[in-house]
Amino acid sequence: MDADATRSQLAAALVRVASGDRAALRIVYQDTCAKLFGVCLRILKDRSEAEDVLQDVYVTVWRKAATFDPGRASPITWMVAIARNRAIDRLRSRAAGGRLEPIEAADAVSDPAPAAVERVELAQQHQRLTRCLEELEARHASAIRAAFLDGATYEELAARMNVPLGTMKSWIRRGLLKLRACLER
Amino acid sequence: MSDDNTIDPADRGKLIAAEYVLGVLGAEERREVERRLAQEPALASEVAFWEERLGVLADAVAPVTPPQHTWSQIEAAIPAAAAARPTSLWQSLAFWRGFGIAAAALAAASIAALAYIGLVPATRTPLMATLAGTSGQPNFVAAVTATGDNLIVVPATLLTSDPRAIELWLILPNQQPRSLGLIQPGQPIRLTIPPDLAGRLTADAALAVSLEPPGGSPTGQPTGPVIASGKLTSL
Repeated sequence: MDADATRSQLAAALVRVASGDRAALRIVYQDTCAKLFGVCLRILKDRSEAEDVLQDVYVTVWRKAATFDPGRASPITWMVAIARNRAIDRLRSRAAGGRLEPIEAADAVSDPAPAAVERVELAQQHQRLTRCLEELEARHASAIRAAFLDGATYEELAARMNVPLGTMKSWIRRGLLKLRACLER
Repeated sequence: MSDDNTIDPADRGKLIAAEYVLGVLGAEERREVERRLAQEPALASEVAFWEERLGVLADAVAPVTPPQHTWSQIEAAIPAAAAARPTSLWQSLAFWRGFGIAAAALAAASIAALAYIGLVPATRTPLMATLAGTSGQPNFVAAVTATGDNLIVVPATLLTSDPRAIELWLILPNQQPRSLGLIQPGQPIRLTIPPDLAGRLTADAALAVSLEPPGGSPTGQPTGPVIASGKLTSL
């Protein structure tokens, strides 16, 4: 099946979910659960917590499907955002602890094989983002990737990369501003 | 080392959206951003920009199959969640600003629809649907005519300032939505049901209404937000 068809099928399933169709939610779940579980697990580093959050994610998808706007967002990106938000909220509610992996772990997986990118449009977005990240100073780009993938706070990132908090904030904020300018070009 | 004092104040305002999406904010700052999102469309669109752009970074995460019991737990959790369906998000959409959602208007619309189908001799069980947004408030009433080949759609509300077209969809189990045509925000409309679908409007079907570009969806599938939906039920 081609990329656009995959995307529009998922979008159509979400529209049906919005009308209260449980069978459609099952389709959405089957198509996306491994990806979203991976995202939650990466942030939480704990299977049972990630399972809890994953359930919560699909209940949220059920409740909020009507607010999904296929003209503005890709369905998978919309769902990844929900999964990350839920996982990050769970992470923040946990007592600060040392469960995070070192920063190298984030770098190690930061270059996915092209085959992992299923949709043409997302592939293009991925290339654009990669190109724009490459324009940043390497450690700024690295901090941004780690922040996204692990949902780590400025404080945690500063500790992990062994720089003062102010420096980490500055790296990421400057990096984001440059990234935005580049993405808009 | 450069410091934050050299960052333009206008840029700082925009940064909060990026920081929220990136996930570097603490719990309290996150709640603060979420409170503002409901009221500040500019902030919401900035958050949407970053979610769409940074979202592809998630491709770097390897998929992991969750345990089998996860789905049954989700399924079990849904009825309770459905009961708690109302969300405040809809209240903030520009679309609803022009709407005066009044029970009286709905009652009038229902009566109008019933009166209309009453004009035709009943040869089958009349089907109706009340289409509501996630707030639970009814926005459209639809009735299948007694002959089964026409659908009367009556907006329960009268005004919208949204320039987008309003498209009605038939949602059948395990199938892609089928367009039934465009409807008007301010007036009842009679739609002809395509012959291949005439027999499919049964009590297991649902109707949904989405906002589309002028002229209707260019793809044949809903492309805009779904603003109301509801199941067909026999009277």
